Amino acid sequence: MKSVFLGITLALVVASSMLYWTAPDRASPIPVLYWITQDDEVKQETIILFKEWLAENNLPPVDVKIDNTNQGLTKKLTQGLAGVGSDILDVYGINIGIFAASGMLMDVTEKAQELGFGPDKTYAALRSDLVYGGKQYGFPRNAAASMVWINQDTFARYGIEEPPHRWTWDEFEELGRKFVAAANPPGTRDRVYFMKPSLSMMSMVELRRGMGLSTFNETMTECHLDDPRTVEVMRRMYRWVVELQLIPTIADQNAMTADTPIAGGATFHLFSTGRYALLNLPRWALIRLRRYGKLPLRVVEPPHTGFPNAQFGCGIIGAYTNTRYPEETAQFMQFLTSDKFNLLIARSGDSLPPVPKYTQSEEFLRPPDHPEEWQAGEVFSRAAPEIGIPICRPPFVLANVYSRIESQVQQSLLAGRLTPEEAAKTLEERINKEIEISINEDAKKRKLHDELKLVQEKIDQLKAANRPIPREWIKNPFYLHYYEAKGLLTEEGAG
Amino acid sequence: MSHRSKSRNIFIGVMFLLPNILGFLAFILVPLVMSFGMSFTDWDVLRHNMFRDEALRFTGLENFVRLFTHPQFWQYLGNTFFMMLGLPFSIAGSLGAALLLTRASKFRYNVKPALFVATVIMVVCGLTLLMGGMPERQVWLFFGMLAAMTLAAGVMTGGTVYRTLFYLPNFTAGVATYVLWKKLYNPNTGPINQALNPALEGFSGWVNSMPALFAYALPFLATVLALVIVGWQLRRLRVARDLSEAGLVAIIAGLLSLLVPLWLCLTWLGMTAIMAVIVAAVCFAALLFWLMNRPQPWGKPKNMDKGLGAEVALALALIPVLLTLGATLVVGPTLPAAASEGIGAPDWLGNYHWAKPAIMFMGLWAAIGSNNMVLYLAGLSNISPELYEAADMDGATSGQRFWFITWPQLAPVTFFISIMSVIHGLQGGFEMARVMTLGGPAGSTTTLSYFIFIEGFETGRLGYASAVAWVLFGLVFGLSIFNFRYGNRHVAD
Repeated sequence: MKSVFLGITLALVVASSMLYWTAPDRASPIPVLYWITQDDEVKQETIILFKEWLAENNLPPVDVKIDNTNQGLTKKLTQGLAGVGSDILDVYGINIGIFAASGMLMDVTEKAQELGFGPDKTYAALRSDLVYGGKQYGFPRNAAASMVWINQDTFARYGIEEPPHRWTWDEFEELGRKFVAAANPPGTRDRVYFMKPSLSMMSMVELRRGMGLSTFNETMTECHLDDPRTVEVMRRMYRWVVELQLIPTIADQNAMTADTPIAGGATFHLFSTGRYALLNLPRWALIRLRRYGKLPLRVVEPPHTGFPNAQFGCGIIGAYTNTRYPEETAQFMQFLTSDKFNLLIARSGDSLPPVPKYTQSEEFLRPPDHPEEWQAGEVFSRAAPEIGIPICRPPFVLANVYSRIESQVQQSLLAGRLTPEEAAKTLEERINKEIEISINEDAKKRKLHDELKLVQEKIDQLKAANRPIPREWIKNPFYLHYYEAKGLLTEEGAG
Repeated sequence: MSHRSKSRNIFIGVMFLLPNILGFLAFILVPLVMSFGMSFTDWDVLRHNMFRDEALRFTGLENFVRLFTHPQFWQYLGNTFFMMLGLPFSIAGSLGAALLLTRASKFRYNVKPALFVATVIMVVCGLTLLMGGMPERQVWLFFGMLAAMTLAAGVMTGGTVYRTLFYLPNFTAGVATYVLWKKLYNPNTGPINQALNPALEGFSGWVNSMPALFAYALPFLATVLALVIVGWQLRRLRVARDLSEAGLVAIIAGLLSLLVPLWLCLTWLGMTAIMAVIVAAVCFAALLFWLMNRPQPWGKPKNMDKGLGAEVALALALIPVLLTLGATLVVGPTLPAAASEGIGAPDWLGNYHWAKPAIMFMGLWAAIGSNNMVLYLAGLSNISPELYEAADMDGATSGQRFWFITWPQLAPVTFFISIMSVIHGLQGGFEMARVMTLGGPAGSTTTLSYFIFIEGFETGRLGYASAVAWVLFGLVFGLSIFNFRYGNRHVAD
């Protein structure tokens, strides 16, 4: 028994040592960067192009390995905070705050200035996605603005006119009613829906913004959703999902996904076969839609309620603070500003290239093999920077936390557990409670909150007096756009 | 044995144990102590980690106070307890399965007729499936064929196949099972709804063809049945009180098993929550007064909590039954209207009201054929055959054999299973919620364990999440103590 025990121990030690010494970064003579991302053709080509770019710029060679098994937020966070994070991380809009605040993303402010991948290289609207607390934490891999995709065949099949380029939510409802009536005659087993929302549930943010209301106030110190406009949005949402069934519930979406014969990308299969008439997604949808041949596609702006807007965000590439290769990871970010990478994004059908000028390239606007996409390219290149607004990232509550609260309240509304009025009130109370907890726990946040509250009081006074507000007082990206459009901003200093 | 040899043996023994001891220290004891300490701090993963050197702040009971004033906590605690309502049924199911499997081995001599029936079913189902053209019925045919194959295999092997099949859920990895059930529950293509929809269509047609008065027949029957159960329970409590077999606390528990469903049903019928509480409280006070003011010829019970264990166990079984009858009472009058539009199978995981029961059904399936069944099988095999022989000689019916021999003899097994089921029930729900519903819709399937995950790993508040975990531990500990204090763990003589 003793010999068996010792033998097993010895075998385990030997196996562990072999595993350790044969790991790619040990076996390779050049630095190996691990990149947590989805393993697809675009990422593979990105790595090839990065290596070519290094060679062209006379930089030492580097290898990049994709780790696609640890993409979940909690996995990345747990590994990173345990000291074993990946060198390069894909971080998406909603989660940038949590990674930056935790300290596991490397501050690249100086490197960005030195190597030329500072915030000024990308879209002005997206700068708040890169900079957190005055420090830059990465560079966009792409920029995504959600627009509405139309499968023209589906509309032609039911003899319904297509939506115009710019349209209102009333027009959306009217057209939706006509469409579902025509597409779902009595006895229909598999319902055809008018629109598949961008996220798991229709984003109410766009609707509220269309009415001039944001989740947070101008300084993002407080949620102010207990407002008649929120109630109106909730009413519309209930009508569209429950009463008119223009939009599927999450359960409907899951059920339809399970019905599709293909694994992954079910939404695109359903769109191509006409189960959804419209998709609300960024340009990257093309990567999936190209698999269904040359669909007759058209893209229009999302409907609005007075103030046209679309969600605009980016997936950034960040570097792990404890990476053994800070220079090489910075070079990878620098590569994201290159011709090679931006043209790859343009021609692959991914979202917008991180450097705005490439949205005017032929590869983006008129890909030679895909003339059916030319209209889409033109809309994305023009509308995204014009009406795209990023999400709010208040320093006092994480975006993923307030989004989760919003999703829960939406579900309660749709399940008939809350009236629209109660939902608006609950939403405001719960988000403000999170802010209160956050500032009570953190003295620095409390100080910042107190300072911004004073600014907010001044803003409220100016609003009451119908006077313009100094631009630098406003922290909320939506109100910056909104007041700018309404001529309510002044460039004068705060005094 | 020399001192040197003894020391050597101790050293070798310790070396054998060391990996386990180190594992226990590293992965259980140290984290346990740390999490207890953390629950009194503001440990936030975003501010207190290897990259941030902010000092931890001792917050005393702040996390606990916040927790008990957090409205969602009460919802999630309610969800956890709701899911546990299935425990008595899963325990009863395990016992039933064990009894059936014990008897199954005795059927091996009736092989021929059973095999003949099974073969006929299989041939008919197989041919019909091959011929096709009956897609709506394919699920039934498939299940028919499966049932026939199971029956055939069972009669040939004398129950061994049944034992294996019943134990299968325990072999299957949790996540795989949940993904499978997610498919089964699919409202459009899931076999459950495919099987239910034709039956519900037929039911709708039948309801439509009935006179209008029928709308009230079902609620009427439910009311009568509920009243019979209430009467039976009150009579039981009265007898227990008269014979001094139930103390005050046990009587209160017995009455609550009637009044909690009453309160809920009144709210379902549209009464405000406060009014429903008042009505239930008045009924409770009147019944308690009636029961406590009866003469007690056998004298007062020694303890106020005498008989509490039995009353709580019975209450756990009575409450779901009465709630089901209450739901029938509420839903009954709406049946004709629903039938005229066509009653469809529910959206199991997507509907706020169905998501919890759906997960409970799945839990029931998994629990019936679990280790509980194996424990009952072992318990049954330990019962002395002489007891049954003596009962047979006295002319006992099979019901009497079960009630006076089997059930009391299994008391220690039932006690152990109850303790473990309650612990697992309180700690459970995480994997199911994560895989099947993400805690939704509207938090209806979020249990305390999933809440701990959200707060700890999605929001990053490890201190607060630890406080929730320790409250959960308190609940587990408290209920286990209750079980030990009032549960029946001894074989009755």
